[in-house]
Amino acid sequence: MSGFTDSNALSERVKAIPGGDMLMMCYSCGTCTSKCMIQTKLESSYNPRRLIREAVFNMDDAAFADKTIWLCTACDLCYPACPQKIHISGVINAVKALAVESGKKTPYQVAKVDELTCVACGLCVKICPYEAISLVEKRVAFRGTIPVASVDQGKCMACGMCTAACRSTSIRLAEDYNDAELIDTLLSWLGTERVSS
Amino acid sequence: MVDAARQPLIEVKTFTEVEKVEGYVGNFVVTLREKTKYVRADRCNGCGACTKACPVEIPNYFEMNLAPRKAAYIPMSQAVPLIYNIDMDACIHCYKCVEACGALEAIDFSMEDKLVEQEIGAIVVATGFSHFDPTPMTEYGYGRFPNVITAMEMERLNNSAGPTNGALIRPSDGKSPKQIAIINCVGSRDKRYNPSCSNFCCMYAIKNALLLKQMHPDTEISIYYIDIRTPSKGYEEFYDRARESGIRFIQGRPSEITEDPDTHQLFISSEDITLGKVIEREYDMVMLNQAAIPQPDQNHMSSVLNVAQSPGGWFMEYHPKLRPIDSPTDGIFFAGACQGPKDIPASVAQGSAAASRASRILHSDSWQIEPTVAVVWPDRCVSAKGQACGICARACPYGAIDYTKGLAAEVITAKCHGCGACVGECPHDSITQLHYTDAQVLAQIRTLLAVEPEKKILAFRCQWCSYGGADLAGTSHFEYSANERGLRVMCSARMDADLIYEAYRLGAGAILYSGCHPQDCHYITGQVVGAKRAARLEKIFERMQMSPGRFRVEWISAAEGDKYARVINEMQASLDAIPEDVLKAEIERLRPEMAKKLTKLDEIPGVAQALVQVDFIVNEMVGKEKVA
Ligand SMILES: Cc1cc2nc3c(=O)[nH]c(=O)nc-3n(C[C@H](O)[C@H](O)[C@H](O)COP(=O)(O)OP(=O)(O)OC[C@H]3O[C@@H](n4cnc5c(N)ncnc54)[C@H](O)[C@@H]3O)c2cc1C
Ligand code: SF4
Ligand code: SF4
Ligand code: SF4
Ligand code: SF4
Ligand code: SF4
Repeated sequence: MSGFTDSNALSERVKAIPGGDMLMMCYSCGTCTSKCMIQTKLESSYNPRRLIREAVFNMDDAAFADKTIWLCTACDLCYPACPQKIHISGVINAVKALAVESGKKTPYQVAKVDELTCVACGLCVKICPYEAISLVEKRVAFRGTIPVASVDQGKCMACGMCTAACRSTSIRLAEDYNDAELIDTLLSWLGTERVSS
Repeated sequence: MVDAARQPLIEVKTFTEVEKVEGYVGNFVVTLREKTKYVRADRCNGCGACTKACPVEIPNYFEMNLAPRKAAYIPMSQAVPLIYNIDMDACIHCYKCVEACGALEAIDFSMEDKLVEQEIGAIVVATGFSHFDPTPMTEYGYGRFPNVITAMEMERLNNSAGPTNGALIRPSDGKSPKQIAIINCVGSRDKRYNPSCSNFCCMYAIKNALLLKQMHPDTEISIYYIDIRTPSKGYEEFYDRARESGIRFIQGRPSEITEDPDTHQLFISSEDITLGKVIEREYDMVMLNQAAIPQPDQNHMSSVLNVAQSPGGWFMEYHPKLRPIDSPTDGIFFAGACQGPKDIPASVAQGSAAASRASRILHSDSWQIEPTVAVVWPDRCVSAKGQACGICARACPYGAIDYTKGLAAEVITAKCHGCGACVGECPHDSITQLHYTDAQVLAQIRTLLAVEPEKKILAFRCQWCSYGGADLAGTSHFEYSANERGLRVMCSARMDADLIYEAYRLGAGAILYSGCHPQDCHYITGQVVGAKRAARLEKIFERMQMSPGRFRVEWISAAEGDKYARVINEMQASLDAIPEDVLKAEIERLRPEMAKKLTKLDEIPGVAQALVQVDFIVNEMVGKEKVA
C-alpha cells in the first residue's frame, strides 16, 4: 500500500505538476472518452479515462506505454464536458511530461528540420500551437555555428502547421505527405472529385 | 391530500402562502395569504361548465405542459377543495364562464386575496424540492430535440390519468417508442450544476424502466449510469429484477446526444466503461433524470421562517445525526425533501416523526429550551440611560432582542438560541450568556494561561464545528501540538474582542479564532458576526505589529479533523519561528496596548470574584512560583 502515499508515486508526481492536480477527483464516468474523437476515428486503444486510472493506481509502465499521452491534442473538447471540472488534457500532459522525463519517446512521427536550409526566420516558432519549436545555436555541417529551428519531440503533435508556414521548405513531417494525395483525401471526405485543369 | 382533508382535526389550506411568522415555540403568529380563486367555494358545485365555456388554452403545468388547460380550470383531479379556479394571468375577461355558471353565480371577479393571522403552536415545513431544468446542458439537446424528455414528463406520459391516458408516445410524431434510453445524474454529481447526489434517481430510473417494460414488453430500455446506488431495504433486489427482465445497464455517462433532423431519431454517444470502448446507440426516445434542487423560493422561505440553510440550499436540521427532524428554531420541524432529497419512504418516515415531535409541544403547558440564553443587566445597558444603542438587537440573528431607546434591551428568552452574538458585540458588557458568562470564560482563559502562557496556543472553538473538528482530530489520532489549549463557546459570534485582548494581555503565545464555515453556521448569521469581528481584530493586531501567525482565523467543520490538526501544527511552527526573547519582548510591548483596549472587566458582575477564585485554585494546584 506504500505506493498510495509515497511522494515518488506516479499519482503524487502527476498531482505536483500544474494541470495534474485534479487527478484524484475523477470518478471514472467516461464522458471524456466518448467526447473525444480519437478513439473512434484514429486509435482504438485511446482512452483518457483509463489513462487517469493508470495514474491513480501508480501504474507507471502502463501509463507511459499508453498511446493516449502522445495522441491528445489538448483540443479541450472534453474539458467543459467533465462533470468533475477536471482539466483532462492537463492531466494527460502531466503524465506525458513524466514519460518524457523518464526517457520515453513518442512512437509517432514529429516534425523534422532540415538544418542545411533553415534560415532561422522563426515563423514556425510563432505558428506552432504546442510551443514545440525553438531556435537554438548549433554546429551545422558546412554552415558553422548558427541558429536553427529545433523541435521538442515531447511536445510536437505532428499537426503540420510549421510545414505549411515555412518559406524555405526546411521543416516537414518525417513521413512525407504528398500534396496531391492530401488534396485527394480531403476531396474524398467532402464527397467531390478533383476537377482536372 | 384528499385523505388528510377528510380528517376532522386537519384543516388543509391550499392556494395559501405563508407571509410572516412571528412569535416563538408554542406561540407563533403566522400570517397567511389565502389567494383568491375568483370562484366562491360555498357556491361552486364542481360541474365544470366554466371550463367548457372558456375559450383560452394554455399549457397545463400539472401535466408538465404536455397538455393544454383552460383559464377556468381545476388544478388536478385530487384537488382540495374540489372547486374551480380562474387563472387571472391567462384570462381575457370574456366572461363566458360567468354566463355558463348562470344562476349558481359562483364566479366572482371582485374577490381578493385574504390575509389572515393564525395562532400556531408548532410548524412542520414540508415544502419539498424542485427539478433542475436540463436546457443549459446543450450536449443533451433538451428543448431542441422533441424526443428528449425529462423524468417528470415521463411520469405524466406513462400515467393512466396523464395527458395521453397512459399511451406511451413520443412527442415528435406520436409513434410508440421501441428503444428508450434513461440517463442518470443529469445535472447531479456535476460540479458545473449541482455537485450532490439527488438520492432517488437511480431507483426511479429502475422503477420507470420496469413499469415501461411491464406495459410495453417489446420496448428495449437502456439505463446509462455512473454508479447505481441501491442503499435501502429491497432496493438491490429491485435492481436485480430489472436486469432479469432484460433492462440494459450501461456504465458510462453520455457525452452527447445527436439527432437525425428528419426522423428525430436520437443517437447517444458514451463510453461503455467495462469494455473501455466508445459506443454510439440509436434510440426513439430519451429520458433525462434531472437533479433534485431546492425550491426556487427556498431562500425566501428560510428568511420567513428564520431557519438556516445547508450548503446547497436545503433547510438545515438541528443536528444531522441526533436531531435530524428539528430545525434549530424550537417549534419548527422539517419533513421530506425540503431538508435534502429523499424518497417517499424516507419522506413519510420523517413526516410522521415531525408530527409526533410537534405534538409534544401542543400537549405541553411549558417547554424546556436550551439554557444557554442571553440575559441583559438592565442597570448596565446604556439604552436605559437614554443613549441610542441597539447593537445587540442588530447582531441577533433571530430578532430575539426588543430594543426601545430609553429602555434597557430585553431578550425574549423563548426566541433566543444562545449564539452569544449580542454578548460578543455589546460594547458596554451589559449583556451576558448563561453558562458562557464573561466570568466563566475569563476564568477559563486565566486558568489555561496560568503557566508559561507564551508557549500556549489558545484555541477558541465553536460548539458546532471547530470544536467537533478538534474532537475528530482526537478520536482519529491526528497528532497536533500539545501546547494547544481549547476553549469552547457556542458560536464564533460569542468570541468577544475583550476575551482575545485579555488572553494576549495575560501573555498568550498564539490565539486561534475558529468556527463554522459560513454555510454551516447553526445560528443563521452568527458566523458572519464572528467573521466580521475577526477581520477587525486581524487589522488591529497588524497595526500593533504583532508577529505573523500569532493570531489566526480559521473556519473548520466538524468533519475536518485533519484540518484542525494541520492548523494547530502550522501555528506551532509559526510560534517556533519567533525567537523566545523576541516573543517575550513583544508580549511585554503589547501588554499595555491590550490593557488599553480592554473595557473594565472587573466591573462586570461576577468577574472579579471568579478571577480571585481562579488565582486561588491555580496557586494551590501548581504552586505560586510557577504561575505567570
Ligand atoms: C421523476 C421522479 C420520480 C420519482 N419516483 C419515486 C418513486 O417511485 N418512489 C419514491 O419513493 N420516490 C420517488 N421520487 C421521489 C419523490 O418525489 C419524493 O421523495 C417526494 O416527492 C418527497 O416528498 P415531499 O412531500 O417532501 O416533497 P414534494 O413531493 O415536493 O411536496 C412538496 C409540496 O409542498 C408544496 N410547497 C412547496 N413550497 C411551498 C410553500 N412555500 N408553501 C406551501 N406549499 C409549498 C409543493 O407544492 C408540494 O405540493 C421520484 C422523484 C422524481 C423527480
Ligand atoms: S483534450 Fe485530448 S482527450 Fe480531450 S478531447 Fe481533446 S484530444 Fe481528446
Ligand atoms: S469526464 Fe472527468 S470525471 Fe469523467 S472520466 Fe473523464 S476526467 Fe474522469
Ligand atoms: S520556418 Fe523554416 S526556415 Fe523558418 S525557422 Fe522554421 S524551419 Fe527554419
Ligand atoms: S372570463 Fe376568463 S376564465 Fe372566464 S371564460 Fe373568459 S377567459 Fe375563461
Ligand atoms: S444574539 Fe444570540 S444569544 Fe443574543 S439574544 Fe440573539 S440568539 Fe440569544
